[in-house]
Amino acid sequence: MSLLLMGVGFGLITASVLALASVGLTLQFGVTNFVNFAYGEFLTIGAYLAYFFSTVANLNIWLSMLLAALLTAGFSWLVNRVVIQPFLKRKAPLLILLVVTIGLSLFLENGVQAIAGPSFEQYAASSGAIVNIGPMIFTTQQLVIIAIAIVLMTGVHLLLKYTRVGKAMRSMSDDPDLARISGVPIQRITDLAWVISGFLAGLAGVVLAINVTSFTPVLGSQFLFIIFAAVIVGGIGRPYGAMLGALLIGLVTEVSAMYIDSAYKTVVAFAILVIVLLFRPQGIFSSKGRV
Amino acid sequence: MSSLVFYLLTVAIFFCIYCIYGWGLNLQFGLTGILDFTYITFVAIGAYFAGVAALQPGNGGLGEQYILGLHLPFPIPPIIGGIVAAVLAILIGYVGLKRLRSDYLAIVTVSVGQIVWTLIGNITPLFNGWDGISGVPQPFNSVFQLDFNHYQWVFLVICILFAVLGFLIIERLTHSPFGRVLRAIREDENVAAALGKNVFRYKMMAFVIGSIYAGVGGALTIAYIGAYNPSGFTTMETFIIWAAMLVGGSGNNRGMILGAFLVPVLFNEGTRFLPSPPGNPLLAESIRGMAIGLLLIFAARFRPQGILPERKTVFRLDGLQQGGEAGGDRLVPQ
Amino acid sequence: MAIVSFPSSILKVTNLAKSFGGVKAINDVSFIVREGTVTGLIGPNGAGKSSVVNAISGFTRVDRGVVELAGHDITNQAPHRIAARGLIRSFQIARELQKLTVLENMMVAPFQQLGESPWRALISRRAVMREEREHLAEAVDWLQMFNLFALRDEYAGNLSGGQKKLLELARALMAKPKVVLLDEPMAGVNPTLTKTLQGYISRLRDQGVTFLLIEHNLSVVEAICDHVVVLAEGAVLAEGQMNELRETEEVISAYLGG
Ligand SMILES: Nc1ncnc2c1ncn2[C@@H]1O[C@H](COP(=O)(O)OP(=O)(O)OP(=O)(O)O)[C@@H](O)[C@H]1O
Ligand SMILES: [Mg+2]
Repeated sequence: MSLLLMGVGFGLITASVLALASVGLTLQFGVTNFVNFAYGEFLTIGAYLAYFFSTVANLNIWLSMLLAALLTAGFSWLVNRVVIQPFLKRKAPLLILLVVTIGLSLFLENGVQAIAGPSFEQYAASSGAIVNIGPMIFTTQQLVIIAIAIVLMTGVHLLLKYTRVGKAMRSMSDDPDLARISGVPIQRITDLAWVISGFLAGLAGVVLAINVTSFTPVLGSQFLFIIFAAVIVGGIGRPYGAMLGALLIGLVTEVSAMYIDSAYKTVVAFAILVIVLLFRPQGIFSSKGRV
Repeated sequence: MSSLVFYLLTVAIFFCIYCIYGWGLNLQFGLTGILDFTYITFVAIGAYFAGVAALQPGNGGLGEQYILGLHLPFPIPPIIGGIVAAVLAILIGYVGLKRLRSDYLAIVTVSVGQIVWTLIGNITPLFNGWDGISGVPQPFNSVFQLDFNHYQWVFLVICILFAVLGFLIIERLTHSPFGRVLRAIREDENVAAALGKNVFRYKMMAFVIGSIYAGVGGALTIAYIGAYNPSGFTTMETFIIWAAMLVGGSGNNRGMILGAFLVPVLFNEGTRFLPSPPGNPLLAESIRGMAIGLLLIFAARFRPQGILPERKTVFRLDGLQQGGEAGGDRLVPQ
Repeated sequence: MAIVSFPSSILKVTNLAKSFGGVKAINDVSFIVREGTVTGLIGPNGAGKSSVVNAISGFTRVDRGVVELAGHDITNQAPHRIAARGLIRSFQIARELQKLTVLENMMVAPFQQLGESPWRALISRRAVMREEREHLAEAVDWLQMFNLFALRDEYAGNLSGGQKKLLELARALMAKPKVVLLDEPMAGVNPTLTKTLQGYISRLRDQGVTFLLIEHNLSVVEAICDHVVVLAEGAVLAEGQMNELRETEEVISAYLGG
């Protein structure tokens, strides 16, 4: 029983990391309607930027995280403008667009590796005091990660529900043609989706790096398909679905790791992905509207 | 034999093998529009299974561990490699090809690539884990008893035979009604379905046939090198083949030959001697990865149809027995 | 329009319903199409005509209702299965296979070609070639009838809008269907050719092919349809012969804008 609860504790942390990452990916998909296969590298870039700020520039880890996320957001904006938009302007087919994002992923991963080297890195910050909540053990660092996820998910919710840009995003996601003719500023909303997506990816990369303690340039690309699992479980393009998907994948993988070899956590995530694709490809939490 | 000849032979052998890889990928993507982002996994599966089909039984515990160890003679191992790759393709196709957008298969392939790579590395009894298997016997060399240098010629001939056969088959498929249905599916699945074509089945066939090419190519690779481990099938390997296809000409099997020469041969060999400073031993590798990534993006941007684009099919109409004046009796549908 | 006897129904739609989110595209539609007739399906924009065609041909799953083709229940079957039963549909917005030539577009259409099996394509080359020649001859005839012969080796993506519509129709007919659902096949086609096409449709009808035809031009409908179903807001408003319908008040107010 306490083993189970311990697993739940770890699951909540993983779910928090995963929620940040998957909401970012799914938001961008909802608005642009294609998968960004370079998204894993956005996480990696966030993690390395924070490493630079915290270790080289000696800033506080949370401040570093914020700066890294902001820079990743800017980078994501740039990727959309410089790499993606030229293809959309020429009405490139979806297949080509996906090839471009995977090419970008290869470029970025190797770029990080060329600059930072292939060895393991680790943030200098301490993981803080141990906090016991029932049988669950957290470090203060981990509690902060959970808090960050809760705050940001609430933020995304408020954005989508109550702001004009949020509503515009939802309408683009539901019906792009209708959104276009009803005067939604497509270009601005698309930019914003990439910025938010990059910001969340940056944050997720840093908290992921904190969570796994040491990381290499394949940090993000190896995490990518767990993000895919969460996103698809929740129904691709649906932020609320992605949050639930993250919670499900996070809990199931970590709880299962209590009972089987933890090296096979990813296999569990993959099994869930396969089952969902076979039996409910629209996602298990999907309802009517997209967002 | 001079080392230059030796080097050129090696390059020629890999050129043949890359052509075989490329034709398989071309059938999947160039003709059918299937996004297989882990083509190299099928190569790897083919290589491993062909390897353990050719090897003597492993002596469990000591030395290398691996399954099977059937000690079968060439050309049975490549056949086994092709079959196993086909089986993997069927499994993945069932998950990713049914009723789903093309991104889903891409996601599934990326995930499968990760999983298979991790599992093969971590489960040592399968294929000796991260160290991989080695000592795979050279085809026919128990007959010829040649030294490694002279044996190169034999292997080159084997590869050329496989490549020529592979080319003839892929060309015939490409220019048959089968290939036409695949291209119809690539252009618009709904039209193909509206004309009674079972889209899922055709995509599956294309995916499987392409994977057989991968598996057989992998089997040749392991027969040549004699060893294989997870560092041989990284993501980058998949995209070297992709880049070769996009640069050469997707949908054109001759373009694929050109691509296999330009990317894996010229580019790979040309960058072989990049420096690797001690502080960053993978620097050269990273730069090559960046270059392949850029090459994909630039090819997609400036010449997505490749150097030799898909050729237009022109039917010869002479000697057709036509229905006479427009609207003749042929208007009768059955 | 001499219908000698009363042919039996080949296509029967019963209580069909389909909503998209809140929009009821089809709201309880029932009608039959008799074998060897041209049945018109008319109605204002957004009436649900295309939705009905999509539902019949399996391209959208219906929420409720039954579609029967020659006595078989085909409701919600996969599109290719329905097509295999001899029901071929065209699309309102022409869907040409862009990077295939005009002739290749035609050559895709015949059902169950020998060479569509990869195995036969490899080993039965002669038989495949022979079959190709036969299909080629048919395709050439159709293209000549549709004034597309000169463009046979052009990529279909390069055709004009009207030519694409013609190709769409020619390709559907090339499949030798028993029942054809045509979604505005003459939209954008010039008047002279429209007349010719009407002639072809009538002749095919006389040879036993059944048509369900969506068409906004009422004089075309009047000229070739044996029976007309009027849809409005996802429901059948009226049906009968066109000249009778012109008198019907509901139809006039809903559609003819009188
Ligand atoms: N895929 C879809 N998603 C949402 N709404 C749809 C969809 N398809 C059709 N509709 C809606 O269903 C209604 C009927 O559309 P349909 O295309 O069947 O009309 P139609 O009679 O063919 O019109 P037209 O003469 O303009 O072609 C319309 O209100 C349309 O907006
Ligand atoms: Mg319509």
